[in-house]
Amino acid sequence: MPVAFGSWRRAVAVGAVAGVIVLYLIAVGIVLAFAERNMVTGFVTLGRVMLSIPPLAAGYLIAGRPGPIASRLAAGLLAGAVSGLILAPALVFADAVPQVRDILLRISPKVIAFISFDHPAAFGALVNAGLAAVLGLVGAAARLTPPRLRATLVWGVLGVLIISMLEPFLRPRLTDFGLGAVSRLLYKSHGLTIPGAVVTFAAFVIFTSFWTPLRTRASDAIAASDPRRQATLRGVGLLLLIVLLLALPEIAGSFLSQVLVFVGLYTLLALGLNIVVGYAGLLDLGYVAFYAVGSYLTALLTSPLSSFGLGLPFWVALPVVILGAALTGLFIGAPVLRLRGDYLAIVTLGFGEIARILFLSDALEPWLGGTQGILGVPPLLGTARVDVPILGWELSGPTLTYYPILFFCILAAFVASRLKHSRTGRAWNAMREDEDVAEATGVNIVNYKLLAFALGASVGCLGGAIFATHLGSVYPGTFDVLVSITVLSIIILGGMGSIPGVVVGSLVLIGLPELLREFAEFRLLVYGGVLVVMMIARPEGLLPDVTRRRELHEDEEPEPEADATSLAAAEGT
Amino acid sequence: MEPNVAPAPEPADPGASPLLLEASAITKQFEGLVANRDIDFNIPRNAIVSIIGPNGAGKTTFFNQLTGIYPPTSGTIIFDGDNITGFSPHEVAELGIGRTYQNIRLFQNMTVLANIQVGRHVRMKGQWFHAIFGTARIRREEEATIQKARELLALVGLRRRVEDELAKNLPYGDQRRLEVARALASDPKLLLLDEPTAGMNPGETRQMTEFIGRLRHDLGLTILLIEHDMKVVMGVSERITVLDYGEKIAEGTPVEIRANPRVIEAYLGKQATSA
Repeated sequence: MPVAFGSWRRAVAVGAVAGVIVLYLIAVGIVLAFAERNMVTGFVTLGRVMLSIPPLAAGYLIAGRPGPIASRLAAGLLAGAVSGLILAPALVFADAVPQVRDILLRISPKVIAFISFDHPAAFGALVNAGLAAVLGLVGAAARLTPPRLRATLVWGVLGVLIISMLEPFLRPRLTDFGLGAVSRLLYKSHGLTIPGAVVTFAAFVIFTSFWTPLRTRASDAIAASDPRRQATLRGVGLLLLIVLLLALPEIAGSFLSQVLVFVGLYTLLALGLNIVVGYAGLLDLGYVAFYAVGSYLTALLTSPLSSFGLGLPFWVALPVVILGAALTGLFIGAPVLRLRGDYLAIVTLGFGEIARILFLSDALEPWLGGTQGILGVPPLLGTARVDVPILGWELSGPTLTYYPILFFCILAAFVASRLKHSRTGRAWNAMREDEDVAEATGVNIVNYKLLAFALGASVGCLGGAIFATHLGSVYPGTFDVLVSITVLSIIILGGMGSIPGVVVGSLVLIGLPELLREFAEFRLLVYGGVLVVMMIARPEGLLPDVTRRRELHEDEEPEPEADATSLAAAEGT
Repeated sequence: MEPNVAPAPEPADPGASPLLLEASAITKQFEGLVANRDIDFNIPRNAIVSIIGPNGAGKTTFFNQLTGIYPPTSGTIIFDGDNITGFSPHEVAELGIGRTYQNIRLFQNMTVLANIQVGRHVRMKGQWFHAIFGTARIRREEEATIQKARELLALVGLRRRVEDELAKNLPYGDQRRLEVARALASDPKLLLLDEPTAGMNPGETRQMTEFIGRLRHDLGLTILLIEHDMKVVMGVSERITVLDYGEKIAEGTPVEIRANPRVIEAYLGKQATSA
């Protein structure tokens, strides 16, 4: 078939990029780190999944170009093959010249053996290239399948991935709940069994294919029903959600609860920062300062070992902590009132560092304990263990900390959503859009900026306060700039100004790395990668605010309404 | 545009001065440059007046001092009995001066309705803590604001179904209308329009001119225009002030201005021959 030379060149280029990405993943060691982690035992490891994603993506991307189906598939195949062939000479070279390892430490014989399926490097590289070509073809085929079917299949694959990653947590829990048989069917030596993978895949596919139409029909039915019924349904849904959230630590066990505590903590921080960045548009990179102030104030007031030695109960100290943090917010906000955009970001970044260095400093050591920090912060509820009488739960450690975090998250989300749709929220949005015009329209910029800083700081300090009681101590090492960056990344990933987005963002950025311990070393690399991909593919975030989604994708959806209006207006003249 | 909403004009305070705005001896100096020199300028209540002048004459500088964007170097501005010299823009807005911009400046990524709601900001009382507790008063205020916003949409001739549209997605002419609606939302006594017909075709210009006249008549507004389009200025305004090189060179009715030799020399001369 006659296809323009240009489109083949494009396929080669995309394939080459994918190949370079694979090389990079190998060179930094991330592939090897996951080579031991089984997804489907004896069949696929996470390391292999990682190697497969770039050729798959290349095939998917290149097949998006218009043309006859056969040539789109062929382009996918070509792109995949190119990505594998780029890798081949590099592998052979690295195998033949061991000195490569003096520079690129992670390109070990082990990883070469892994990639070439334990064959000799040259042959293995070719096998790998063949596999990459097939993956490219699969990617292209995925692009050509109808979206509904594609979504269902993708959910099936994601389901296998998720269930296999949850193995260390799910397996003991299944046994605890007397489902040992299920556990044995699903899992074998840290991965899914082949039947387990098939069952999981089928379960997810069936669920997705029934769930999507069911949900559409249900939401249509609810929208059509009378408002009182809608309110009841919403109430029931909310109640179910709360019951589920309350029971979660008991279901998840203490290990997953620890993860949930961190997810909740970062959700709380992100809810606070979302007010400052998402609503008011003030790019604050020193948010960690409020987190630190909340932690230290709590420690000072509640720990009997602190220099104050007050040993107040948490709930007595809390109002003072919040007030202190709000004042810090005003204190930091006041000098930066006149700064905009980049300048604001740089100055707040500096403030964050100043806070950390102050907490670390010798001058304040008599009060704040310098590098040692403050020890002996009592647990939040005063005791380390609570027994829930009827249900027979024993709450301690993370399963106990989970509850106050949940409470504060719900509180913060409620406050944020109320503010968002109020005079205050609109004034913030106006300020974000055009500060001068907002002021000329009657918004007192100074007050509203300070309010955003103070409220954001108050929520941030709650996170710090809980964190201090959870760890039982505070020390300055915890409060580095990475906390600010992470919280900001959560907001960007979830969707600026979106409250559900914040929850999803922290599940992905905090929850996933906790589940995949192998990630720990590559956390920042993954953050960077995720943010770059998001900015290209979905700049509005995973669960965006409605208006924000339209703001970024208006060119993709036709808007006949607006056209009709302008026409009608033109006719009216 | 359907003229269906016409709140009663503000009852004129019998003791009040016949002038809504009195600016005396306004001088504005930027470093070495004198942008406005010793300008006296009054606006009678319920009048439509215009400021014209060639580019760089100091019109916008003067406008910006009235709205508080920067204070005059010397001189005083009295608005409705209050000395507002040196007030900040949000205080000026609260006292009752609304404005539009030469190059439309809407809150682009907010909905049409939200733009007008922000315009209403100064007439609302709800604070952040009221909003958190969701008091009955707050809910009433929100409902009243939405009601008011919809009335204004109708007044400026925007259809109700565009209210959830993002402001930036409106066609150009509708954006101008929305900007006027936003300014009107604060119940201003004085409306400042900065080249309201810039970029409009003759049909739209005529429509806007009629609309300005109706605003004064139906809402009892006082209006100050800055305009380049001579037809608009001559047709709609009662008094015209001409600025040139930062100084007031003439003031009077359109007929007087048309005949004034200094004006013709400074500004109209070139255009009058071509018009």
